[in-house]
Parts: sequence; structure tokens; C-alpha cells
Amino acid sequence: MDIFKTGAGRNLLDLAIIAAGFLVLLPVLGINRTTDFIIFCVFVLGFNLLYGFMGRLSFGHMLYLGTGAYAVTLFSEHVSQNPLLAIMAGIAAGALIGVIIGPIIVRTTGACFALINLAFDQVGYFLVLVAFSKYTGGEDGMSVYFSKMGVIDFGQKPIMFGFALLCLILTYYLLKKFTTSPYGILIKSIKENETRVKFLGYNTFIYKWITFIISTSVAAFAGALSILNYGYVTPSFIDPSRAVEVIFAALIGGSGSLYGAIIGGVIYMAISNYLASYISRWEMFLGIALLICVFRFRSGIWGFVAGKLKIREAA
Amino acid sequence: MTTEQPIIETKEATIQFNDLIAVDGVNFTMKEGEAIGVIGPNGAGKTSFFNLLTGLFFPTGGKIFFSGKDITTVPPHKRVAMGIVRTFQLVSVFDSLPVVDNLILSTNRISPDHESRGAFFFGDAHRQNKVEQCMDALKLMGIENKAHLMTSELSYGDKRKLELAVALSLNPKILLLDEPFAGLSDMEIGEVSQIIREVKKKFSFVIIEHKISHIIDLVQRLCVMHEGKLIAEGPPAEVLCNAIVREVYWGKEEGLTCSV
Repeated sequence: MDIFKTGAGRNLLDLAIIAAGFLVLLPVLGINRTTDFIIFCVFVLGFNLLYGFMGRLSFGHMLYLGTGAYAVTLFSEHVSQNPLLAIMAGIAAGALIGVIIGPIIVRTTGACFALINLAFDQVGYFLVLVAFSKYTGGEDGMSVYFSKMGVIDFGQKPIMFGFALLCLILTYYLLKKFTTSPYGILIKSIKENETRVKFLGYNTFIYKWITFIISTSVAAFAGALSILNYGYVTPSFIDPSRAVEVIFAALIGGSGSLYGAIIGGVIYMAISNYLASYISRWEMFLGIALLICVFRFRSGIWGFVAGKLKIREAA
Repeated sequence: MTTEQPIIETKEATIQFNDLIAVDGVNFTMKEGEAIGVIGPNGAGKTSFFNLLTGLFFPTGGKIFFSGKDITTVPPHKRVAMGIVRTFQLVSVFDSLPVVDNLILSTNRISPDHESRGAFFFGDAHRQNKVEQCMDALKLMGIENKAHLMTSELSYGDKRKLELAVALSLNPKILLLDEPFAGLSDMEIGEVSQIIREVKKKFSFVIIEHKISHIIDLVQRLCVMHEGKLIAEGPPAEVLCNAIVREVYWGKEEGLTCSV
């Protein structure tokens, strides 16, 4: 159909495919798990912008997820229990932390970039667990209460599922717009040769900083949605040792692709949720899956499939 | 048309890496519209000198001026905005992007005369008018039929042409070409030379090249570098007959004859 050959038509088709995919998973996984999967995919999308598109691997992305989670909690505790306002506060907190620590982090590359993110995450984890435990609930965490918005009650699972899916679609759409714009070409060019981009007349520092802020904001958005879904926060939301989850998901699905991020998110969650029920040390299989990807499917599962089907994703 | 206004000037430009002085007190002046060749043996400091002019490195001593303005510590992206554009010794294009996407950034560069920031972040990079601009740049190089290939699929010669197309689409006032013929076949050298010949009237340019015979009819002046120093400059025929130049460049063997 011709409508799907236009830019808007293709976007609409993408969004419909994502929505349909999760609606198909719904009866298989159940509503709670599907909502979890969706929120994790939002997190992977944010991480993937930084890693897959701009080539900057972060070992500390849990900090930004945790920032969103704790910001929502504290906002709801001290300011307002309106869930939408709380989510906006979570996103704003994620953006703010990107604005503040971004100028330090984006000056670095490679291992230094990965580890400086981890170092900040360690600091954040300590602050939540010990230094500010009076406000964060320390190791026990805190319960969070949100008010109803008329007939909309996020405590009802179908509403939460629908809202999470809407948020994923919105995030996908925004990132698709970003990554198919000249800015998207710019960050992909930075990934390949930053020096060359400077000699095209671009201040790469600014664009790396902007990308970092977008990535931290999306991660915080995922953190905020998690709290809306679970109704409590614990330090596990900011735990640096969990950073590997999002890295695995991006690698397995296919970094540098929005579809890849979503597929990777679903596969990682499926392995960690279901394999864990049968095998106590399920992480070994995750390691094997990663090894297969590294040696056999360098561009991830989606990259492999897209290559076979000769699909060149616009993003 | 050549005027007396120096477009670029260095005064005692020096860059030192630990004990190595890569560029040693170079005084260089270039008038608007001029075409200059920079030659010298390997390790003479030619590319380091380009790096100083374009801001990849800042000098450890001396000053650099562009149209009379001190640009010694101006970063590369601002120098590009001023019109100082370069190519690289090792061809430098984005292999992971389609050919046409290599030109999107140069044709969309943000400036008051270019695209709005909103369109830069949210607009489709492949809008018809933008792609047409890119295609025009590719047509000049004769590679418009390869626009939608991945850049990694291009031959080395076509990558050189693409790099030149990117440089030209940045609207240079001064173009610095670092060994543009390196790795090209004789036929490709002829094609690239012809392109340079066609566009060189539009701006000033400096060209580094080992194969002197390829640039001798492209430039008005030759500068010879040796061990970081500018040891001779002047019209090509005169410079190539300079005894010191002949010794450092060709050693005791005869290179080109003085009649060139």
C-alpha cells in the first residue's frame, strides 16, 4: 500500500507493529510481565541511543533509571501524588542529572566513558543506600502512592499496561524522529569518526552532551514508569551491578537500531524471567547467548534478520 | 583573482610533541585566490602544519591569522565556519553510512544561513531538496550514480572523490588538500586533477603532495618543508632548482630537472 511508503506511513506502520507485537505477547506472558517487558524496552531504547547510535558504552545507566525512580517517589511523597506530574518530575530529574554530569562524562571515550558512568552510579548507589537513607528508605526502600486521575487508576493493571505501551510507542516515535534527522546522521558519524565531524563544522561536544541528556531522560522515564507499575522503590533500581542487563539487551537485539533495542529488551526479559524458573544459574545461558551474538551475529538478532531480508532501517 | 590581502598567515608557528619539534617556527603567508603546493620528504612536518592551520592541534608557539584575525586557539569547527576546510591524508569518509548521507551534514551545517535547529533535530534528513543538494555535489565528482550505495562499497578512488565533494560542499574560502592523489590510479589522478583545476578559481587552496609532477601545473607557488622548517618557497621552477631543496628532497640522486 502506497501510504506505507511515505515517511508518516512508515512511522505509523512501525508503531502498529510494536503495539501488535506486545498485544500478541499479552496472553502468553500475562499482563504483569508484559508491562515489565515494555518498560524495560523503554530503558533499552534510551541506552541504545547513546551506545548503538553514538558509540558510547555506559556501565552506569542504572544511575539514570534510579534517578527517575527515586525522583518519582520523592515527588509523590513530598509534592504531589498526581502520577503524570510525578512522571514528568522523574524525566526532568533524569535530564537534570544529564545536564550536570554530562559535560564531565562526554569528554571521555571508550573504557573511560564506560567506567566514569559506573563511578557516578556507585556514588548514587551509596547516596541512596547510606547518605540519604533518611529520605530514600535506605536498603528497605519506600512504598509510593499515586492518586487516581478521574477514572484512570494506574493501580489497575490493564490501564498500566496500556499506558506503558503508549509510553513505549511515544519514546520509539521520538527517537525515530531524532535518528532519521540530520542530528541522527551526526551522532552516527560521531560514532565512526568524531574528529572528521569536527572538520565538517560541528561542535561535537554539544551534540554528545545533548545525546547524553536525551539518553538519561529516557532512562529516567523508564525508572518512573517502573515505580508507577510496582508502587515501591528499592536500591535495586540504582544498583550498578544491574547495568549489565541493559547492555546485554542492546547487544542481543542489535545496537544501533530501534527495533533491535525492543527485540533485545524482550529477549533479555524472556531469558531472565523464564529461564530463571527452571535453572538456578541462568546467567550462564545469557553469557552463552551473548557469545553467540558476538561471534556469529555481530549486529545482533535484528541486524542479522534485517540483513537477510535486506531491510535497511531508516533509523 | 589574486589580491594583496593575506587570507592565512602564520608567524613563527611551532608545535612540539615531547622532544620532537614537528613544526619549527614556520612563517607562512598566503594571499586570497592563491594556489600553493607544500612538498617535503616524509616526516617533514607537512601534515602537522596542516593540523595547525585547521585547528586539530594548537601551536605550542607562534600565531596563526585568518584574514587578519588571530585564530591560534580557535577550535576546528569554528575554523570550518570561517571557511577553512581540509581533507585528510588517509581518506576520511563515513563507511557505515550511505554515500549520500556523507553529504547531509555538510549541506545541512547549522548557521544563520542554513537550516533551523528544529529541522536539524526533527526534520527528515532525506527531504527532497536536501538530497538534491547532495546529488549536485556528487554530480560534480561524477559519482552521483553511487549515491545510494554504502560508502564502504566504494572504491578508494571514489572515496577520495566523495571526500572532495564533502569539502567543496562546505563552501570553503581556503581548501587544504592533504595528499589527494595518494593511493589513486593514474586515471583517477587525472580525474581528480581535472576536478581541482575546475574548482580552484573559486577559492584559495593549499595542496600537500609527494608526486610533484602532479601539482606543478596546479599551483602558483611551492613551499618546501624539511625537519619542521620551511626551507624554501617561490615559483615551482625556481624552488625545484634550489640546491638545498634538491639535496633534502632527492638526496644525491637527480629528481626532476631544473627545466620543470
